[in-house]
Amino acid sequence: MFSEQAAPTAQGLLAPPSAEPPTFPRVPVSGYSDCSQPFQLGERSFSRQYAHIYAVRLTGMRPGLERRARSRWGSDIELRKLSELQAGEKCCVVGTLFKAMQLQPSILQEISEEHNLVPQPPLPKYIQPSDELILEDELQRIKLEGAIDVQRLVTGTILAVYGTEQDDGGFLVEDHCFADLPPSLPWNGPSSDRFVLLASGLGLGSVSGEALLSTQLLVDMVTGQLGAEGEQSCAAHIARVILAGNLLSQNTQSRDTINKAKYLTKKTQAASVEAVKMLDEILVQLCTSVPVDVMPGEFDPTNYTLPQQPLHRCMLPLASAYATLRLVTNPYQANLDGVRFLGTSGQNISDIFKYSSMDDYLEILEWTLLAGHISPTAPDTLGCYPFYKSDPFILTECPHVYFCGNAPHFQSKLLQGKEGQRVLLVTVPDFSATQTACLVNLRDLTCQPITFSSFGADSED
Amino acid sequence: VTYKWLSYTLGVHVNQAKQMLYDYVERKRKENSGAQLHVTYLVAGNLLQNGHVCHKVAVVREDKLEAMKSKLSTIASVHVYSIQKALLKDSSPLYNTDYDIVKTNLQHCSKFSAIYCAAAVRRTPPEAPRAPASAQSPQRQRDPDAASAVNGHGPPAAKPPPQQHKGIMGMFAAKAAAKPQDTHKEAKAEAKEAPGVSAASSKPPTKNNIMNNFFGKAAMNKLKVNSVPEQPKEEKEIVKPSVAVAEPESSPNTVAEKPGKKTESARIQLKDKKSKTKRADRSDDEEERDPENGKKKRKRIKQLQSDSSDEEDVPPSPTPEEERAPSPPPVPALKTELEPASTEGSAGGKKRKRKRVLKSKMFIDEEEGCMGKPG
Repeated sequence: MFSEQAAPTAQGLLAPPSAEPPTFPRVPVSGYSDCSQPFQLGERSFSRQYAHIYAVRLTGMRPGLERRARSRWGSDIELRKLSELQAGEKCCVVGTLFKAMQLQPSILQEISEEHNLVPQPPLPKYIQPSDELILEDELQRIKLEGAIDVQRLVTGTILAVYGTEQDDGGFLVEDHCFADLPPSLPWNGPSSDRFVLLASGLGLGSVSGEALLSTQLLVDMVTGQLGAEGEQSCAAHIARVILAGNLLSQNTQSRDTINKAKYLTKKTQAASVEAVKMLDEILVQLCTSVPVDVMPGEFDPTNYTLPQQPLHRCMLPLASAYATLRLVTNPYQANLDGVRFLGTSGQNISDIFKYSSMDDYLEILEWTLLAGHISPTAPDTLGCYPFYKSDPFILTECPHVYFCGNAPHFQSKLLQGKEGQRVLLVTVPDFSATQTACLVNLRDLTCQPITFSSFGADSED
Repeated sequence: VTYKWLSYTLGVHVNQAKQMLYDYVERKRKENSGAQLHVTYLVAGNLLQNGHVCHKVAVVREDKLEAMKSKLSTIASVHVYSIQKALLKDSSPLYNTDYDIVKTNLQHCSKFSAIYCAAAVRRTPPEAPRAPASAQSPQRQRDPDAASAVNGHGPPAAKPPPQQHKGIMGMFAAKAAAKPQDTHKEAKAEAKEAPGVSAASSKPPTKNNIMNNFFGKAAMNKLKVNSVPEQPKEEKEIVKPSVAVAEPESSPNTVAEKPGKKTESARIQLKDKKSKTKRADRSDDEEERDPENGKKKRKRIKQLQSDSSDEEDVPPSPTPEEERAPSPPPVPALKTELEPASTEGSAGGKKRKRKRVLKSKMFIDEEEGCMGKPG
């Protein structure tokens, strides 16, 4: 994308100073609208139980699933609730999945004194062969057996199973289906090249500073200081930058100071303070040149539960002065030039990764889209706000670009749906580890990774 | 010497800086002057990696330049990144140079860049008095009105503020209750200096009064005691004084209010190390508190005297200006703190003042918590 247009003038700057160099105007922001209102919480009250989320989720997704089930297994199949099941009858049931895992960290076990257990250290994956799947609906639950991949599925998914009830009380599954891709949105994409830069995991405040020059190179490239004229004019086509979470690194999270005595920690500052100042400086450089959307991530100073609320602008005094800075929620949804973006900072995907046998982040991303829900594990293993009116994580419309941040590698795929939906799936890699950011071309929904590198003490390969 | 450092130092476009560096290298090499120059280049281009085409941007040393160029299938750009006398072991000196120069130029860091963004305008708060601050910021010249709605307030607001400013100063001179104007001026200056958090919308006028009360009551000692790092918070407050209180505030200058305003402005002043507006404020307080604050008063009077001379020139301004100037506290809680403070008699002894000092100090510290601990 970039390079082909830039190639002709590549060597242009290896010359003595010439006449006044050109300045390229940035492509104007047109047609931006923020659609993440469902993720913004107003008054928050935690006095409700989490059971309501599941109830709302089920009622919200049941109609869609029933339609899918009918279209898949015939319109004459029986749709039954668990309480109406009769042994030996083939029918279809819609319900919430629950996976009983032995290794799942349970707070009750931890504090139970009779076990005398030490708290379980965090594992990369909690799946075990002995896990079981149980289907629940509003009133009952039933164990699932049969043609269903226990390892792959996670708690909280709403699905429809087709099979018969066994005599021993289990349900023999012959087939199952998910909500599948929601109906797509009309495509109003731009006709000329427009780019959006996706980056995540800047990881400021970490002990090692290798990624700092790469971060500076990224900022320079986007603001047009880096590169020859061709590249700079291409960079002027970057309409927006989205920072998808983890702007601060995990090192800023040290909570040792809580355990130490007050007199020892009186003069110490939280590591995140310095990191936020650095972030502010970087954002100022970006904001003077391009609109930026900042999403909070796992290690950023905002609330822990999903949906994470935007960072407060008083933390970024220098950058907040610019109208081009937008502090947004995680998950984030917006219309950019007619293209619908939806994405998270990666907590939902990494949570599913822990509790499922799926290893590939792109695969998990695709699976959440097919399951019709951004984060099925939300109240169970991932912190979530106790919604009771509606579940904002249900996918009702199909986005054009669906991304997740802080993935281990860059991956992208254009998914074609049965009803003509076109979704670009992008896993945005962790910048502090890979020094890679993604550039999405809005015109044709393609994505290109951009890697930055500098030379270290050892020679470059 | 990196191209960015050169660009900022000489005030030239970044592309010109890169060309200058190249030219220098070529010339020096031709002269064979014997001084060994080590050059690093920036190479960017397409690279086939992991099955997809990846755009790579790399800073390389001169000896690795050709190797890197051959690895890339298409080269997007090559230019000189930096020149130095010694061979660099790693790229951290480059980063440090750039970091330092950018930090000193944060206000207009895109001035020499090749891309000009029309949308990147400073947010201006809707209230008019704050406009002068934004008007004075260097970005103003380049900001077209189009981009942000808030920006629309900028240019039209630019004209009324100067008069308001003068009016305010006049008020000060006229009424010897100079605080609001001081803080206002302070605010303008402050806002100029740092792009404060401009989001503070107009606070209710009552808050102003309460702040004034608070300041009036609070001891001047507090002002001295306040540490300088409260500047960020102060900036917020400074910006706030310019919050336009639309409706004219009656009963402007009760004694309680005055001290309040003064204290605030004084505090701001302390942080700011600008004594002008504060002095004027303090002079009023000074006279009132002569019996209470002995030597401190003397210091303040001196400052105030130097200050008040500045304020003499300004023609009288309408009363509302005065009311507007005192900054509503950034935190509403501060207001509640002030309220109890203000309800106490202004003739409260030093003990009470100390209490207030402590309270507000705690307040400041608390607020500082989000901005970083002072010192």
